[in-house]
Amino acid sequence: MPYFGSEEMVKELKRALSNPNVQADRLRYKNYITKVIRYMTQGLDVSALFMDMVKASATVDIVQKKLVYLYMCTYASDKPDLALLAINTLRKDCADPNPMVRGLALRNMCNFRMPGMTEYIEQPIVAGLRDKASYVRRVAVLGCAKMHSLQPNTEIDGTIVNELYALLRDPDPVVVVNCLCALEEILKDEGGVVINKPIAHHLLNRMKDLDSWAQSEVLTFLLRYHPRGDDELFDILSLLDAFLQSAHAHVAVATLRLFLHLASAHPAVQADALLRTSAPLLATCGAASRELRFAGLCHVQQVMRSQPGLFGMHYKRFFCGYSEPSYIKFRKMEILVELVNDENVALVLEELRSYCTDVSPELAQAAIAAIGRIARTYSEKCLDILTGLLALKQDHITSAVIQTFRDLVWFCPQSTAAVCQTVEACVDSPQDSEGKQALLWLLGEHGDQISSAPYVMEGYIDGLKTELSSAVKMELLTASVKMFLCRPAETQDMLGRLLHYCIAEEESDVCVRDRALLYYRLLQRGVEETRKVVTGPKSDPSMSVLTGRQEEPIRQWASTFNTLSPLAGRDLCPQTAVVSAADQPSSSAEKELLPESTDVTLSSPDDTEEEISLSLGPPLSHETFEKMWLDLEVLHRQTLGFPRPRTAPDTLQAALQLVKIQTLAFTPGDTVPWKAYIYTRSTGTLILAELLQAPGSDESLVVSVKQQPVNQHAIRVFVSILKSVLQTPNADSS
Amino acid sequence: MSASAVFVLDLKGKVLICRNYKGDVDMSEIDHFFTLLMQQEEEGLLCPVMSHGSVHFLWIKHSNLYLVATTNKNSNASLVYSFLYKLVEVFTEYFKELEEESIQDNFVVVYELLDELMDFGFPQTTDSKILQEYITQKGNKLEVAKTKVPTTVTNAVSWRSEGIRYKKNEVFIDVIESINVLVNANGSVMSSDIVGSIKLKTMLSGMPELRLGLNDRALFALTGRDKGKTVSMEDVKFHQCVRLSRFESDRTISFIPPDGESELMSYRINTHVKPLIWIESVIEKFSHSRVEIMVKAKGQFKKQSVANNVEIHVPVPSDADSPKFKTSTGHAKYVPEKNLVVWSIKSFPGGKEFLIRAHFGLPSVERDEMEGKPPITVKFEIPYFTVSGIQVRYMKIIEKSGYQALPWVRYITQSGDYQLRTNS
Repeated sequence: MPYFGSEEMVKELKRALSNPNVQADRLRYKNYITKVIRYMTQGLDVSALFMDMVKASATVDIVQKKLVYLYMCTYASDKPDLALLAINTLRKDCADPNPMVRGLALRNMCNFRMPGMTEYIEQPIVAGLRDKASYVRRVAVLGCAKMHSLQPNTEIDGTIVNELYALLRDPDPVVVVNCLCALEEILKDEGGVVINKPIAHHLLNRMKDLDSWAQSEVLTFLLRYHPRGDDELFDILSLLDAFLQSAHAHVAVATLRLFLHLASAHPAVQADALLRTSAPLLATCGAASRELRFAGLCHVQQVMRSQPGLFGMHYKRFFCGYSEPSYIKFRKMEILVELVNDENVALVLEELRSYCTDVSPELAQAAIAAIGRIARTYSEKCLDILTGLLALKQDHITSAVIQTFRDLVWFCPQSTAAVCQTVEACVDSPQDSEGKQALLWLLGEHGDQISSAPYVMEGYIDGLKTELSSAVKMELLTASVKMFLCRPAETQDMLGRLLHYCIAEEESDVCVRDRALLYYRLLQRGVEETRKVVTGPKSDPSMSVLTGRQEEPIRQWASTFNTLSPLAGRDLCPQTAVVSAADQPSSSAEKELLPESTDVTLSSPDDTEEEISLSLGPPLSHETFEKMWLDLEVLHRQTLGFPRPRTAPDTLQAALQLVKIQTLAFTPGDTVPWKAYIYTRSTGTLILAELLQAPGSDESLVVSVKQQPVNQHAIRVFVSILKSVLQTPNADSS
Repeated sequence: MSASAVFVLDLKGKVLICRNYKGDVDMSEIDHFFTLLMQQEEEGLLCPVMSHGSVHFLWIKHSNLYLVATTNKNSNASLVYSFLYKLVEVFTEYFKELEEESIQDNFVVVYELLDELMDFGFPQTTDSKILQEYITQKGNKLEVAKTKVPTTVTNAVSWRSEGIRYKKNEVFIDVIESINVLVNANGSVMSSDIVGSIKLKTMLSGMPELRLGLNDRALFALTGRDKGKTVSMEDVKFHQCVRLSRFESDRTISFIPPDGESELMSYRINTHVKPLIWIESVIEKFSHSRVEIMVKAKGQFKKQSVANNVEIHVPVPSDADSPKFKTSTGHAKYVPEKNLVVWSIKSFPGGKEFLIRAHFGLPSVERDEMEGKPPITVKFEIPYFTVSGIQVRYMKIIEKSGYQALPWVRYITQSGDYQLRTNS
């Protein structure tokens, strides 16, 4: 924010910084620099001082250096031409005998986010990778990733990638993890860093040297590794066993995720891992930090999707504390509803009942809704509580109870009689529009069981003029018509008035008027006709006999376990390619080539469909291809409608390579049937295809496509590219 | 984990300081944070994760600050929260108290710390002891390249530097157990557990090897062998320095300790403990005239033990006035800003029973708003005693220079989340 007189201030600072007397007094000079940074922090534009600040970087004082570097990083992208002047100083510092200075200079140089930096930083980074101080190596490794992110579309530098892979064996644990992260960034388009057997085993053996952040990181990377056999699998699991009980919640949960993933073929192992982590998970639910507690609860909810019984005996842990924030209370109530059984139902209901009178109306309503959910199984007890709540005569409670009644009747028709009795006895009527709608629905749908229904309805019709919500008016119309069908004598008059008001008098909302007109014309066609249109099912038709909740397989949620999406709400889940990664049993080799499932952005799949291009990526071995080909299903088969290109095999291969399709093998010359196997990658999926020209099949090529993970859009793109390539040499030869 | 940037905001949503680590999320996105926060707060649907477009804000609140991390990836949320809390921890160790003022007064150090704690969205050096070796608050003094990279940054033992010296070598061991209790309004215990931890304050020279011996009962509980008979500990966690393999094979807890204060291990016992201080309360509210409160506290622990600094917090209606108290011991104070009566008893011997009566006036015009029903909370500390019966049998200290060192052990049982709901 530009302060009044900020220009003056900048001028003054400029004068001071260029004053030789100030420059001579180091302490004074440094104080002025600190002042500049303070203004910068406060949001003032002090970029005009760039030249003076560059000069100040030539100092032995490390803090001053840091401040100047910070200043440069902040304004480099605004003043690229001036920033170039600073580069010389920085490069000189990169060769300083003090490793601290080297690391600092290199890190900041890499943080200059401006185009054209690459040529200046490449050499210092490469030197930094071989620095004898691990502090510098850490910085240099991440510098590689920063360099790549500056120019994301350039060709990947193979030597740097190799160097980074070599540095995975660095003695310094942070260098190792930084390498993984950097490789992941650089190789993003090719599915990220490759975790093969030696790397995986190396990482597993280093686990205990790492700090908790690094452990979490490595555990996530290991998700990509698939052991070759059960022996190896169990060796890995026993190595990781101790981390299930790690002091850091995030490590324990990351380990659990890896366990679930590795043991996807061994449900017993998975169940055991879940059982053993249930204690640490519960502990996170009681963590001192409310955010971690919240994360823990979300994880518990995920686990419960597969193992609803796991936390049954610990239900008391999910009772809400008085001072907990409501987002925690909401989750706890959701969990409590799931945990209810014959033994604890009384206690749980008593607990929920006490939440219904909470100060926060949202929370009270959620608690009432929770009781409503339990009522689907234990209707009698719950109805007593809900009826008791009506006696409190609190508007928001009454409204929530009526809404809960409506849902209950819809899902659980056997409770209708009891509900109707209560509604009949209820004197208070809800004041908000949701509550009114719920009450009107109940009156309309079950008017035959509520003797006072027409009189209540009449009250609403008489008060129509003061009603603001059109949703309530529409509900009132529908309810009145339904009521008319079952109790015509009592309703006819008021229905007439209602329709007259909505159609002829000043009803401003068109939707309401249209609805009224619809009913009016419908009634003109006769009562039977109306009945056919208006009456629907009185309860959820999809409900059959009440059963317990379906237990989902673990793989349904394992892929998003320990990520952001379960916290951010279920609809954010990236349900695109991610799930299938865990779905298919796959060999270790292909696992290496798959993209990391966690780092998929939380965007909807549509966003990614804009641009799909093919890419080559690391070559597949024949064995891997064969294995995958046998494992996967054909997703798409199409007759291309033209014969195979009659060109030399080399030409065809080159043509395919141009559009980034790799050829694995094809049958020589004129052998019949002619076959070719090709593959390519596209936005995180691997596409395998077979071209076949069988005799007698009209001399036309048939393409069969297999893919992992599935992305139909990518297949369409692939096939269309393939078609155009294959036709080109055909046209040439003819 | 990939946090793109970290921000520190004041209560009005103004950015006090920030650090852009990855550059893949526009820094101006933070402007949406506060609007979203306000909007959610109004709807009563506050959530520690908020999203604006493809940007996610993960935030925590500490005193009068918001600490926010932005990301556009499906990051590991618990990791990000842990990191934010780590920031709080490190800043607190530097500035004693982390609040708006300390950030503004120390922005140079904050920048330096932010620079070392994370790079490109990945946590780097987060141990505050190590950081303190090379980022200091000399304030106005010049630091002429004293700055060697501390060996710990690259050490094999990442939690301890070499070359530490003390004149007198000592270790202080604190065994602390916190009791969490939730008691229903009708007096039944809803949940209770013990959270224990063994804390060390190490003042030892060199690279000492320590071995901690616990009593058998504790060990059996730890390993869960003796199920049924004794209580078994759930969720035992050791500091990174403890050699887990040694513990697995022969049950010895051996380690090279971090210097200064650290938590060696923690555990949780989920068992039905008798609430050490039992509270019975009668709160009678006569609308428009007065509230009468009677609270009886009883020490349900051994007669030889004494609970110190007992504080019993009794909620009162927010519109109550003119307090009058009568206590059989200790003294009572009305804290109107928290709507509480705090009854403090300096020393509370086991088996004793004390009583307080309080009387408040109520205004004749009643407020419309509903009030919550806050529970009675109790704070206490009982020295020389643990509920679980865990005991330190020995602590062996071996260093290659062969010095003699003294271990000191202290036991404390204290209140954790200790709540008793009331009827009113």
